[in-house]
Amino acid sequence: MSETVPCIEAHAMEVHYEDFQALKGLTCTIPSGTVGLLGPNGAGKSTFMKTILGYNRTTSGSLKVFGMEMPKAALAVRQRVGYMPEKEVVSPEITAVGFVTYLGRLFGMSRVDAMERTHEVLNFVGITESRYRKMETYSTGMLQRVKLAQALIHDPKLLLLDEPTNGLDPEGRDEMLELIEEVSNKREITVILSSHLLPDVQQVCKRILMVNHGQVVRDGTVEELTRRQANQFDISVRENIQSLIQTFDEKGFPWHAKDDGLLQVELPEDLEASWLYELARTHQTQIRHFEPARMSLASVFIDAIGRTPHEVALES
Amino acid sequence: MPIYEQNYRSYDGEAWHHFRWLIIVEQEVRVLIKQKKFLVLMIVGLVHLILRVLQLVAMDIIAQNPNHPLALTFKQFDFLSIDQRMFFDFIRFQGPLTVVLFLLAGSGMICNDFRNNIMELYFSKPISWRDYALGKIATLTGLGLFLTAIPALFLMMLHNILLPGAATFAQTITWVVPTILFSLLLVIPAALMVLACSAVVNSFNYAAVTMLMIIVASATMGTVLAEMLRAPNYQVISLPLAYNRLGQYFYGMRYPIFELDWYWPMSIFVAISLISLNLVFRKVRRAEVAP
Repeated sequence: MSETVPCIEAHAMEVHYEDFQALKGLTCTIPSGTVGLLGPNGAGKSTFMKTILGYNRTTSGSLKVFGMEMPKAALAVRQRVGYMPEKEVVSPEITAVGFVTYLGRLFGMSRVDAMERTHEVLNFVGITESRYRKMETYSTGMLQRVKLAQALIHDPKLLLLDEPTNGLDPEGRDEMLELIEEVSNKREITVILSSHLLPDVQQVCKRILMVNHGQVVRDGTVEELTRRQANQFDISVRENIQSLIQTFDEKGFPWHAKDDGLLQVELPEDLEASWLYELARTHQTQIRHFEPARMSLASVFIDAIGRTPHEVALES
Repeated sequence: MPIYEQNYRSYDGEAWHHFRWLIIVEQEVRVLIKQKKFLVLMIVGLVHLILRVLQLVAMDIIAQNPNHPLALTFKQFDFLSIDQRMFFDFIRFQGPLTVVLFLLAGSGMICNDFRNNIMELYFSKPISWRDYALGKIATLTGLGLFLTAIPALFLMMLHNILLPGAATFAQTITWVVPTILFSLLLVIPAALMVLACSAVVNSFNYAAVTMLMIIVASATMGTVLAEMLRAPNYQVISLPLAYNRLGQYFYGMRYPIFELDWYWPMSIFVAISLISLNLVFRKVRRAEVAP
C-alpha cells in the first residue's frame, strides 16, 4: 500500500436498511493512525464499520478501503482488516484456543501457523490458563479479550473495534484501552475505535470523527477540534471580578465561569483583546491570567451532537 | 503495569486462498467427534456394516465351500443372497440412522452461529457466504455418504475380493451407479432440509422438531390418503415411501410399492432440495450482505 493512499475514503455514502436510512451522505477520509468514531447509539457508527467490511451495500456514493473499491474488493479488504464486533460472541462448546485457531484458519493460515499465532495473541490479550476452558464459562471481560484476539490473529493493517469496552468493569475497561493503545502505538496498525463514551476515545485516539444521524459532524485531530478560539479568552483578575461581569452582561458578551476558576468571555469580532486590559484598568484591577480559550472535547461533543457526553452514555 | 506478558508481534506467514469451505468442514467434524451421541450413532452404523461383512463371509466363503457343514444351510436362506436387494436394503436401513445423525449434527449448524453472533466474525475473515454454505452442506453430505455409499462400495469391493472372478465383477459393476444414486438421493435432500430448518428457526431443538415433523407428516398424509381413497399412488407424498420407490427403480427391482413413474417421486425430492437450498442461501447471504 502506498503511503499516500488513505486507509478509508468515503464520499457521500448512503446506506439503507430497507426503509431506514442509516448513513446519509457520509463523507470522510481516514489516514493511518488511531481514529475514534464517536456518537450516540443509532448514529451510524456500526453501520459505517460494517460497510467497510462489505456487509452493507451503499445505495449511493463511494467507499474505498486501502484504495480498493467496496464492496467489489470485500474479500481482499477483509484480508487486511480485523474486526471486533459489538455483540457478545461465544462458541460455547469450544475453547478459546480452538475458536481463535479456527478463525485464523478461515483467514487462510496453516494449522501450525494458526495455533502458534493463537497462543501469541491470547498471551497478548491476557488469556492465560483459561484458554483451554470452554468459552461458555467465560466472563464478559474474557469474551471481549477473545474477540480482540481473533481480530488480531492475522495481524491486520486496519483494526475495527466496535464498542470494545462494553460490559467491562472499570479495571477491565482500563486494561482493554491499554491493549488497544499498545497495538496502535507500537505497530503500523490503523485502529478505528467506535464508542459512545468520550473518555474511551479521548484516551486512545489521536483523531476523532463525530457521527450523528448518519453523517460526520466533526472530523479532526484532538488538537484541531479543541483549537483556540479567535475571539474567546480565558482570564482571571486580581479583584473586582463582579464589576467586570456586570460590564459583560450590560454589553451582552457571553461569558461563563470555568471549573478551573477562570472566566471565559467571548468578545465581538470588532473588539481587540487589548480592550479587556483597558476594561480591567477602568475597574481598577489587574489581569493575572490571559490566554485565547481552547474548547474542551466535551463542549465540541455537545456542539456537534446536541447532548452532553454524560447524557449519551446514560441513554446507551 | 501492562497485563500482557509479551508485546504484540507481527505475522508474516502466507495465507491459503482456496477451498476455505474445507476449513469449515474440518471444524464441524472436529466439534462433532467430541460428542458422545455422534460417536454412538457412528458405532451403530458400523455394527450394521459388520453384520453385512459377516453376510458376505457366509455367502462368499462358507456357502461356496461344499465341504463346509454350514454351506447348505446358508444357501437355503434367500435373504442372505448377495444381490442388488442386499445393497438396496443396506442403504435403506442406514436411512433412519442418517436422518438421526443429520438431526444431531445439522439442526444447530446455522441457527447456533446466528444465536451466538459468530456470523459477523466469519464474514470479517476473507470468506464469502458461498464458502460458508458450501462448508456446511459438504459436512453433512460427507457424513451421510460415510454411512451409506462409502460402506456400500466397500462391501462391493469386499465381495469381489472374497469371491473373485469376472462374473462377480460384472455383476457388481452394475450396482455401483444405483448405490451412489440411492445414497445421494437420501443424503442431499435430507442434508439441505435440515440446514434449511436450521436457517429458518432460531434454535437447535426447533430445527430438529421441524425436520422430524415434515417427515412424519408426509408419511402419515401419504398413508392416510392412500387408504382413504384406496389409491396406493398417493403414497408418493410420503417421503420415506417415495424414497424407497426410487431405490426400487434404480436397482431395477420388481413389485414396486406403488405404480407411479420414477419422475414423480424424483420431482418431489428435487423440489425439496431446491426450496431448502434457496432458504439456506437466502439466510446465509443476508448474514454477509445486508438486504
